[in-house]
Amino acid sequence: MVSANNGSSVSNSLLVVVSQGQSRSPEKRSLEDAIATIAASLPNTTSLVVPHLYDLDADSQSVIKLREWTGPIVILSWLFDRAGFWVLDRHEIRGQHGEVQLLNTDIANEDDDEEDEGEDEKAADRVANIMVRPSRRIYSIDMRAGNSADVFAAEFRRILECEQLDAPKKDLLSLDRFLNPTNSTALSMDGSGRLDGSGRLDGNSASPASHGSPLGIVPLRMDEHPQRRWYPVIDYSRCTNCMECIDFCLFGVYGVDRGETILVEQPDNCRKGCPACSRVCPENAIMFPQHKTPAIAGAPVDAGGFKIDLSKLFGAPERDEDPAEAAARERNEQLILAGRAAVDFNPASTELVAGGTAVATVESVSTKPDRKPDELDSLLDQLDSLDL
Amino acid sequence: MSESLTFMMGDFAAEFPMDRLYAKNHMWAIRMENEVVRFGFSAYAVRLLQDIYFLEFDIEESALLKDRQEFGNIESKKAESGLYAPMKGKVVKINEQLLNDPSGINVDKYGEGWLMEIQGDSSEMLSPAQYLEHLAKAWDVAQRTIKGQANTIESNEE
Repeated sequence: MVSANNGSSVSNSLLVVVSQGQSRSPEKRSLEDAIATIAASLPNTTSLVVPHLYDLDADSQSVIKLREWTGPIVILSWLFDRAGFWVLDRHEIRGQHGEVQLLNTDIANEDDDEEDEGEDEKAADRVANIMVRPSRRIYSIDMRAGNSADVFAAEFRRILECEQLDAPKKDLLSLDRFLNPTNSTALSMDGSGRLDGSGRLDGNSASPASHGSPLGIVPLRMDEHPQRRWYPVIDYSRCTNCMECIDFCLFGVYGVDRGETILVEQPDNCRKGCPACSRVCPENAIMFPQHKTPAIAGAPVDAGGFKIDLSKLFGAPERDEDPAEAAARERNEQLILAGRAAVDFNPASTELVAGGTAVATVESVSTKPDRKPDELDSLLDQLDSLDL
Repeated sequence: MSESLTFMMGDFAAEFPMDRLYAKNHMWAIRMENEVVRFGFSAYAVRLLQDIYFLEFDIEESALLKDRQEFGNIESKKAESGLYAPMKGKVVKINEQLLNDPSGINVDKYGEGWLMEIQGDSSEMLSPAQYLEHLAKAWDVAQRTIKGQANTIESNEE
C-alpha cells in the first residue's frame, strides 16, 4: 500500500466525500475524521469533508466544489444510502448507482425487496430511465454501516479496484487544478487542510479549495456552517412523475421543470417535521432523510433504528390511523401552524388511498427491528444498570 | 438549589426541585409572567435519555401548539424520542442554544438547559408530590416498555 496519494486527473481518480453529521456524538465525530484521513492516504483518491449534506444550499461552497468533480464519487453520510445518493442528485451531482457492499444492515435488500418485483415491467415509467444520468458512478455509503475506519477503507479499496484506479497514476495536473484553482477569490488553507472560507452561502463568495500541503495527503475540509433544513428528496429511480405530491402539498414545495418533470422547486417552503407528501406517494419515491421513521427516511426494506424509542413515555399520543389519514392530519397541523385553514380529508379520495396502501406495505416490513448485536449488548448493559 | 424530592429509578436517585411544577410527560414547569411557563426535562427524563447528542425543534416561536402535539425530536446515545407539547398554548421562546449543544440539558437540566416557553393555561401541571405519585406508575410502564423493546430486539436477533 502506498502511503501518499499519487494524484491523477480529476476524472480519473476517486473523490471520497465525508458528510459530517449534526449530532454531537463523539463516536460519530471521530469516525468521520478517521474515515476522511484514511481515504486521503489511498492511491488516486482525494478526500473531502463537507458539512451535513442535506443542509447544504445549492450555492454552498461544498456543492459547487462537488459539481466540479467529473470522476467517480464515494459519498459517506449519516443518511440511508439511497437518501445520500438522491440528495446529491438534486444538487446536479449525478451519476449511476455504484454498488456498495458495506451496508448499514446485515439483511441485504435484494432478495426480500418485494417492491422490486414489479419494477421491471414499470421500468419505462421511471423518471431516471427517461432522464438518464451520466455514466460515472456514485457510491453512497451510510456511515452507520461500520464502526471502524478500517472497514470503510476496505470498501474504498474494493471500489478503487472496480474503477480500475488501484494502481498509481501520474497525471498530477488536473488534480492540482481541482485543489489549486486559479480563481482570484480562492480560499487559503491552513496546514491541516481546513479552508478558511466565510461559509457564506451566496455563489460569489464560494470558490474551490487551494491545497497548502502535499497533494491529497490530508483531507480537504469545507469550513461552512449551513442552517438546518427540511425538505423532500425525490428518488427518480422510483418516481413516475404522477404528480400526486404536487397536488397534495399546499405549501408550494413542488414544481416542474421545462420537461414537465416533477422537482422540489421551493425546498424551504416545506414545513419542518412534516412528511405528509411522502405518505401519499404511490411509489414511495419521496424521502425525508431526517425523519425518524426509517421507511420515510429512505431506509432499505427491513432496516430499523438502532435506538430505543421513548416517545410513548414522553407523551406521544396513541394513534390508530392509516398513512392517508396521517398525511391529512399532518398537513392540517401545518396549515394551522402557518395560520391557514385546515382542509377536509375525504377518505374516499382515490389518490390518498392508493398512496396510503403503498406506504403501509413498506412500513409494515421496515419497522421490524433489525439491530446490531453490539448495540443490543450496550442496551442491555444499560438496562442492567437501571436494575430492571 | 432549593429543596427537592427524590425518586429512586433502580439504584439511581432522581431529584426533583420543589420550586417548580411538573408535566406528566416528564418536563418541569416554572411559571413566569403573563401566563408564560418555562419547560425543561425532569431528572427522570434525562436519566432515561442519558447523553443527549441531538435536538431538533420543528416549530418556530409564536407557533400554537395543541396539548401533546409533536414539536421536535431528540436523540441521545441510547434512545430517541419525539418531543410533545406539555400543554396547549403559544410558543413564545425556544432555547436555540440547545441546537448547537444539546448536552446543555445534561449539564444543567433545571437551569440553562431549559427547552422552551409556552404561554397558556398551566392549571393541569402537577405539584412535585403529585408528580412523584405519577412517577411511581410511570416507572413501571417505562420498565416494561424498555424491557419490551429489548425483548423484541433479542427475539429478532435469534
